[in-house]
Formats: sequence, structure tokens, C-alpha cells
Amino acid sequence: MKKSTKRYLVGFIIGLVLLILSYTYVMTNVKNPEIGNLPYYTFRSLLRITTAYILSLVFGLSFGILASMNKRFSSIITPTFDILQSIPILGYFPVAIMIFIAIFPSAIGLELASIFLLFTSMVWAIFFGVFDAAKSIPVNILDAAKSFNIKGFQFIRHVMIPAIMPAIISGSFLAWCDGWFFMIAAEYISYAGQVRSLPGLGSFLAKSTYVYNDVNLSIIILIVVTFLVIFINYLTWHRLTEKVSSYMPLIKLGFFTIPHDKKIKKRRFTLQFKFRHHILSKSKRRIYTSYQRIISIIIVIIIFILVIFSIKVPTLEDIKKSIFIPEISKLPIYTFFTLSRLTIAYIIALAIAIFMGILAAEKKKFAMIFYPLYDIGQAIPVLALFPILFVCLSQTFGGRLGLEITAITMLVLDMIWYMFLNIAIAVKSIPEEMREVSKIFGFKGMKRIKHIILPAIVPAIVTGSILAWGTGWNTIIFSEYMPYGKEVLSIPGLGSFLDKVGYEEGNTIMLIFILSIISSIVILMEWFVWRKLLKKTEKYELET
Amino acid sequence: MALLEVKNVTKSFMNEKKILVLDNISFEANEDEFLAIVGPSGCGKSTLLRIIAGLETPDFGKILFHGKPLLAPTLKITMVFQHFGLLPWKTLLENIELPLEIQGLGPKERRERAMRFVKDVGLEDFIDVYPHGLSGGMKQRVGIARALALEPEILLMDEPFSSLDALTAEVLRKEVLDIWNDKTNITNTFIMVTHSIEEAVFMADRVIVLSARPGKIIGDVEVEIPRPRMKHERDKKFFRIVDKIKTLITKHSSTVAR
Repeated sequence: MKKSTKRYLVGFIIGLVLLILSYTYVMTNVKNPEIGNLPYYTFRSLLRITTAYILSLVFGLSFGILASMNKRFSSIITPTFDILQSIPILGYFPVAIMIFIAIFPSAIGLELASIFLLFTSMVWAIFFGVFDAAKSIPVNILDAAKSFNIKGFQFIRHVMIPAIMPAIISGSFLAWCDGWFFMIAAEYISYAGQVRSLPGLGSFLAKSTYVYNDVNLSIIILIVVTFLVIFINYLTWHRLTEKVSSYMPLIKLGFFTIPHDKKIKKRRFTLQFKFRHHILSKSKRRIYTSYQRIISIIIVIIIFILVIFSIKVPTLEDIKKSIFIPEISKLPIYTFFTLSRLTIAYIIALAIAIFMGILAAEKKKFAMIFYPLYDIGQAIPVLALFPILFVCLSQTFGGRLGLEITAITMLVLDMIWYMFLNIAIAVKSIPEEMREVSKIFGFKGMKRIKHIILPAIVPAIVTGSILAWGTGWNTIIFSEYMPYGKEVLSIPGLGSFLDKVGYEEGNTIMLIFILSIISSIVILMEWFVWRKLLKKTEKYELET
Repeated sequence: MALLEVKNVTKSFMNEKKILVLDNISFEANEDEFLAIVGPSGCGKSTLLRIIAGLETPDFGKILFHGKPLLAPTLKITMVFQHFGLLPWKTLLENIELPLEIQGLGPKERRERAMRFVKDVGLEDFIDVYPHGLSGGMKQRVGIARALALEPEILLMDEPFSSLDALTAEVLRKEVLDIWNDKTNITNTFIMVTHSIEEAVFMADRVIVLSARPGKIIGDVEVEIPRPRMKHERDKKFFRIVDKIKTLITKHSSTVAR
């Protein structure tokens, strides 16, 4: 047996034993009427996330490959998917619930709605990963395939799939993490004035705070979930990542291309970073023509209209009544509040991420602390932290301010890892020669950071920021509005407005209206801030 | 006293097991000298240059510069890199000016100094271009200008022509020799690492020959060919020296193989 296989098996056995021990310990020592259901809840959550994953794998893989092979198809589908991707998932969740419950009135409707939520959170990472990888198969390989007359299914099996395997795995890894992220939102839903929950770890965690008021239990469940996430990641994605790394091609990181080297195999973290960074940064560098942009916006608007019509064909009177509700005058101030929260959190997260990223890449000592911290940090589904954080913070700061601070803290925790990851790897990939240049020509301390390191990580900061803002919108929609016991606690903002309109009033038209505002902000920021910045850096980019 | 003395330098790397890279290297470099270090790939010649530059520390032995031990990089010894090492986010001129700025030169002074060396390498028309808009030969000219602008006493070159195409490399070699010959320049001691024996013989006054790993000095060959060398690169004497070095290397590698 290979050494790595042995190590893997040992890890598996130790992990499994620890998992069983911790479950037995929790189930015998924690007093709660539902604690006996812990294994069942675990099973249900895993089943839900796996179903959603398989669906998104099938969808992402087939659409990704199709789009890569057909130019006309991809020129419409990729910009459209890019817009859909930037709509915060939690924004349209109320509508999805409404539609699914209308079709399947029993618990199945709710279950399907939650699988749909998880599916939409996962599918884009896989689709774009597959599409970009399939598009970047080297021409000489394609030529070779042509000259040997490898076509159709044979081509997909022997050329396409192996070539895009790294992307499939890293895309899946990302998707899987996103799935856990939304677990609590997908299982514990306050809808039309009443709370509905699906059996699962996420809803149990929510209930532990909201229903049982037992913070200790919440923390225990959170630890169990985190451990489970890490264990499953170890069993699947980490292992697969190591396996495909043997034929990994060169990877472009920010300005620099770093070759695949054998030593990296031993550094699992670096490898993981490379994969994930690759997929994330690439999808944000796509450039669309204005024609493509217009078409994709029209398609998305049509989808929105169809969604509204599928519930009830509205009359003009309906639209008027839905839109011109008294609260609409507060829309600008809500937008301002939410944007301020996001901006404050973003600045804090960026500052910490730059600091940590540089330290982790430059000093081994810090790497030993930060990388494992990252592994755990990104395994904790941030939304699941919400109840616990809120209970702790509201005790000192009171309800409103407590919720405000909770929201910003969650945003920071959520945003920081994307940027840390991108920055650390960008600093790490500064070529050795560049470091020697800085030594030879006397760049030291702040001068070195200013002239060598900061400029080198600009592209990484931009891609990290796009991702951070993307996930930030979901977090803010979730955390401005909280069904706490029988009452609802909320802070003014676009997120709470959307939640209120969607969950309490079932006002689909208004919800879609708010959602379009949010999506426009996201897309405008991407087009006019992030892509502009990326373009600027391309001006002085190193060739590969 | 020689300008630079390399004394008993020994260096090994840890990579699963300890690998000896440089074994007891000693030589001297004198003022006004063009010195080349050749050897088969993996013989540690680049490591040796990095030790001279102060980028790496030897396990044993030392480097003496003006008779004093050299422990860290000094601006009196600068380097030209194989892959140019230009900052992609700075324009051509900024790349040359930046080290001068860090050294504390005022804006006017550093602009004048940088422009002088830009003219030396003939790139006046490209000063606002970013590195990715320059050809390989231009980039290496910037690398050379940047290293010389600090007016060091010794210029180190690490395979300076090996990322360039053959024609560009030939032109650039001649330009480097012209710069070295120009006695108005403060920098007149050049140490170059290369794997091309012809290149070493064409350019240098003296060629230090290293063996395959672990690198040991197996020859210190004076190149007694009159300059300018362009006139003599078809001479019998030129090929005799090249052959002598080649034989040294082959002989040594074959004893290792046996």
C-alpha cells in the first residue's frame, strides 16, 4: 500500500472514531428533548446537501461542457449565468418557497425549496469551473485529438473529463462549502408568520437558540457541525485534490505563473489554495461585449417576470398595490444603511486579511497558525454563528445594537477568508527572483511592502473583494432580520426590508423589485469598480 | 589585495537528505576584471553567485570584499537576473529610478542618473513603457541599466543572456562588453555565471570552471585573446581555449560517472 493511502486510511479511522465518540458523548450528556435525533438530523442534512450537490454536478457539468463546445450557446449562457450568480440566493428564497409550496403543499414542497436553495448556491461554482477549464484545454491537445479522430463520447471521456478534472474537484469543493454555508437558512424558515423547519443540523442549531434558549447547546452543535465538515472535506476533496495534482498544469496567480512542483504535494494547504484561487479568480476575469450584457439582462428580466406570473398573473392594480406600500419611501435610506454595513465590514476584513495574508506568506511561524485557522474558519458555516453571536452580543449591547454588531461581525467573518486566501497565495507566488531583486537593491521594511508586495497582490485583492461582496449580500440579508422566538427582531436595511416583504407579507412583486435593486448594485459594482480595477492591473501584467 | 576574495566556500542544501552543492571554492576577482564562472547545470554556479551577492550565506568559508567579510547584500555589488526581475507595475524608467530613490537620491538627481544609463542601453524612446510591453532584449537592457545606475563596484550577472533568443543575445553580449570597456563607468569589475563555454571565452578575461555537483573548481583559465574579441571569435586560439575547458568538464564528469 502506498504511503499516502496508508496515511489517508489512518486519518479516516481516527476521524471516524472521534466522530462516534463525540456524538455518543454529546447524546448522553446534553439534556434536550431532541438530542436523541442528532444522528438522524445529521443524516437528513447530509442527504439534503448531497442531493443538491449531485443535481448541481449534473447540471454544471453538462451545461459547462456544452457551453465550452458551442460558441453561440456560451455567448448567451455565460453572461446570463454570471448575472444569476450575482443575485443573492437568500433574496429569492421566499419566492422559491412560495412556488414550491404552491405545487407541493406538504412538507415535500419545503424540502424541495431547501434543496433548490442549496442547488443554486452550489451550481455556479461547478458550472464556471468546468466551463473555464474546458475552454482552456491547450490547442495542441485538441489538435492531437482531432488527428487521431477522437470524437463525441470518446472525446469527452478521454480528453475532456481528465482535462477538467481539477476544475470539477475544486468547483465541487467550493460548492460543498457553500452548501454548508446556507444550511441553517435552508432548514429553518419563518414563512407567512409561522416558523417551519426541516429536520436537520441547521434547524436544530437554530432551535437551540430560538426555541430552547440554550447557548451551550448551540455551541456544541456548531462544534459538531464544524468537525463534520472538516472530516468530510478531508475524506473527499482534500484527497481528490492531492490525486489530480500529479497532472496539474501551470497556474496563473495574479501576475505570476507558478509551475506545478512536486514539493507542493506535501503542502496540502498551498495546493488547495492554488486550486480554489484559480477557479475563483478566473471566472471574474471574463469580459463581455455590451451586446452580450444587454441580452443577458433581458433574459434575467424575463425570468423574473415569469416567476411573478407563475404565482399569479398580476393586474396593473396588483402591481400598484404591491409597489406603492408606505415603506417604499424609506428605500434610499435602507440602501444606504445596508451599503454602510457592508462597507464597514469590508474595510475591516480587508485590513485584517492583508495583514494576515502577508504574515502567513512571509513568516513560517504565522503560517503555522493562520492556515489551520483558515481551514477551520472556512469550515464553520458563518450563518450558523448568527444565533450564538447574537445571544452573546445582545446581552452586553441590547437587542438593536447587539443585532447591528452581530451583523457586522458576521460579515467580517464571512468576507475575511476569501480575501485572506487570495492575498496569502499571491504573496507566496511572488517569484524568488523578485524577492532577490528587493534584497539586492535594498528594499526593506515598509519600502518593500509598498513597492513589491502590495502592487503584487492588487489583482488578488480585487478578486477576493468581488467574492467577499458576493457572499456579503447573502449574509446581510440573513442577519438584518431575525425570527427570535415569537417576535421578529430587525434592523433597518435592504435585507430586512426584503425579508419582511418576502416572508411576512408574501409580496412577490415588491420582493423582486428589491432584488433587482440589489442585483443592480452588485452588477454595477462589478462592471464599474472591480473589472475596471482588474483592467488597470492588466496594463502592467507579466506575460505568461 | 584583490577586490573580492572567495575563501573556502562550502554550501549544502537540505532536501530529504543533505546535498552538497559547493565544495571548498576559493578564488579572487581583481579590479577591472571580467570574470566568468562556467559549469554544467546543477553545479551550483548560480548559488555561488548568490553567495557573493550576499543573498545566501555559505555553510563554511567567507566572502571578503575590500578585505572585509561580506555578510549581507550591499549596494556596491549589484546583480543582473536571468529572468530580468523587473517590477511589472513600474515603467521602464521607474524600474531604474526606484532603487536610487530608496537609496535616498533626490528626484532631479535620480532622473539624471537613470536617464544616463537609459541612454547607455539605448532605450530613451521607451521610458514610459511597462515591462510587459518590452521585448526580452529590452528587458535585459533595463535590468543592466538598473544594476549599473547604482554605480556599484562589482556587477554580477546570472545567466544574463540565456532567456534571450540567439541573435538578441549576441547583440547584447557586445553591448555589455562595450559598457565594461567604457572606462568612464565607475563599474568595471564584472562577474558572470553562464553554462555556455563559448560565451564565457568570448567575454571574460578569466574563466573559473566548476565541476558537476558538488561544484569544485577544476580549472582557472586565462583567456589571452586580444580585444575587441569580435575580431577573433573565429581564431584557432579561441577554439583551443573552448576545447580545453570542454575537456576539463567532460573529463571530470566521466570520472564521476565511473
